[in-house]
Amino acid sequence: MSNADAIAATTDGPGVGTPPSRRGRGAGAFLLSELALLFRRRRTWALLGALAAIPVLLAIAVRLSGEGGGPSFVGDIAGNGLFTGFAAITVAVPLFLPLTIGVVAGDSAAGEASLGTLRYLLITPVGRIRLLLVKFAAAAVFCLTAALTVMIVGILIGLALFPIGPVTVLSGTEVPVVEAIGRALLIAVYVAVSLLGLSAIGLFISTLTDVPVGAMAATVVLSITSQILGSLSQLSALHPYLFTTHWFGFGDLLRDPISLTSFGENALLQLVYVVVFGSLAMGRFVTRDILS
Amino acid sequence: MNTSVKRWVPFAAVPVIAVAAAIAIPLSTNAAQDLPEKTPQELLTLVAESDVRAFSGEFTQTSDLGLPDLSGFGGTSASGGESSIATAIMELATTSHDARVYVDAEQGVRLQVLDRLDERDVIATADDGLWVYDSGEKTAAHVTASGDLPDAPEAPDTDVPTPSSVAEDLLASLDESTTVAVGSTATVAGRSAYELLLTPRDDSSLVGSVVVSIDGETGLPLGIAVTADGDSSPALSVAYTSIDFSTPDADLFTFTPPSGVEVTEKTVPVDGHSDSVSPGDADDSTLPGATTSGTGWTTIVELPAGDASVFEGLDAVTTPVDGGRVLSSALVNVLFTDDGRVLAGAVSLGALEAAAR
Repeated sequence: MSNADAIAATTDGPGVGTPPSRRGRGAGAFLLSELALLFRRRRTWALLGALAAIPVLLAIAVRLSGEGGGPSFVGDIAGNGLFTGFAAITVAVPLFLPLTIGVVAGDSAAGEASLGTLRYLLITPVGRIRLLLVKFAAAAVFCLTAALTVMIVGILIGLALFPIGPVTVLSGTEVPVVEAIGRALLIAVYVAVSLLGLSAIGLFISTLTDVPVGAMAATVVLSITSQILGSLSQLSALHPYLFTTHWFGFGDLLRDPISLTSFGENALLQLVYVVVFGSLAMGRFVTRDILS
Repeated sequence: MNTSVKRWVPFAAVPVIAVAAAIAIPLSTNAAQDLPEKTPQELLTLVAESDVRAFSGEFTQTSDLGLPDLSGFGGTSASGGESSIATAIMELATTSHDARVYVDAEQGVRLQVLDRLDERDVIATADDGLWVYDSGEKTAAHVTASGDLPDAPEAPDTDVPTPSSVAEDLLASLDESTTVAVGSTATVAGRSAYELLLTPRDDSSLVGSVVVSIDGETGLPLGIAVTADGDSSPALSVAYTSIDFSTPDADLFTFTPPSGVEVTEKTVPVDGHSDSVSPGDADDSTLPGATTSGTGWTTIVELPAGDASVFEGLDAVTTPVDGGRVLSSALVNVLFTDDGRVLAGAVSLGALEAAAR
């Protein structure tokens, strides 16, 4: 179901779970209807379910093997269940989270276009710029939901399967459980912010094409390309400008004293990407001939 | 078509402005600040009389020595999980690091190297000796002094390498082999700083110049940049990105190894002269018999035969030359001779070969 269907439903008669009409309502109602549309989709739940499976699989694997060791944080899970959240988000950041963001952001405009609903949507008194802003806001909400899903499911499965105690942070000091959970949620926010630049890129690519799969794939490929460029030391001059540069900087939230430097740098970098690709998307969308 | 172009203008302008700002803002922060003029001698006095007792700061170390990044190989070539000195040096020489440092003359020094999702800590205090903690390896080493200390040290040793201590050591060792000049003023870590320009008089040194940034207010060195001869950008640099002159939290200087960490206890005997323990003491014991030749900038360090085993696994970065293999970089050349000796110095390969004969 697309936005235009939702609008059509309000005029044509009863629809299944009809969202409120946008006509004459403020941007808030528009955003709510977009979010209702996003989170009523089975695909969105499948994406979130796949993300939730990461910490569950990690925790079960560690529980069954009963072995320590392994990459970042995985080896700590057996001793303290709270590490499941940290380990899961570390595993999810390079590929799984960008994949889901690519699907949601890449589909935002191209999906409506491919279903042929974009022109109906734009017939209603909804400005093109406002439509894009709402699409981006919905993608941003999905970023936060996705990161929180990984972290919260990780903490819950850790609580269920392993002992919980004060967490030893990277600096070798222990922080109490409540503070550790607070830091875990802050990490989820950090990761959500990290993905905003990618969302804006996905939105821009989505305005270029009527083929949603193409936009999704291009967005995911860009995120991987950026990470590969970031791993080549020969290109170190380029690194500060890559949107993936600070993706693993959330480790700074696990130091004592906590370091918010990378949080600020990351937020600034993502803001620049959002501004640049957001305005490119608007330029393309406003000047484009909507044929489908 | 024409109207389409016109409608694009406001949207195209935003990215252009954003990109321009991203390029222009880092440049403008380096604009010169007003500081009273000083001669090189006055500047050295300012450093010597600096009475900063406590501060905390974050600094960045970058290396651009023209060496390939071997971090991927480093872990596998080290035997038994014990990193060799060579891989540690290579790691330092090929990658950049962010670190935080906490200094309190009454308490001690703590250095935190902020690796990606890992951290290495060095905590040096007068009461508890030296702790080295690695969160990735889950190991901690505790170095304490054995025997009674003749008298309690006035202040703990600050041999943990920070931009300040490295610069102070460097300035203390200045002699006739160096030209000293005061350069332009710069902004380092948001503070106005003098730039002290050190140039080797000896042309055979690979070092082109060394720039030490000195805080105009406190005299604390805030950064060093070493530029190779003929290069325009620094090959090595270390500088604070932020600094705070308030006293750090006392809790930072106590370290209790977390559970599950393998702790190695090491005791270093103390003689009457040395009054504290430093990482340097531990390092010296692993490199016995090193001899030096030459002075100042052209000093060549020679390790006798037998020690070459620690440099195993470097074949990938060395090139064969007459009588051995050489590791060549912008600032330092290292010659591994066929008979097992190792010669290193900031000099040309020819000078190393001459010294090896």
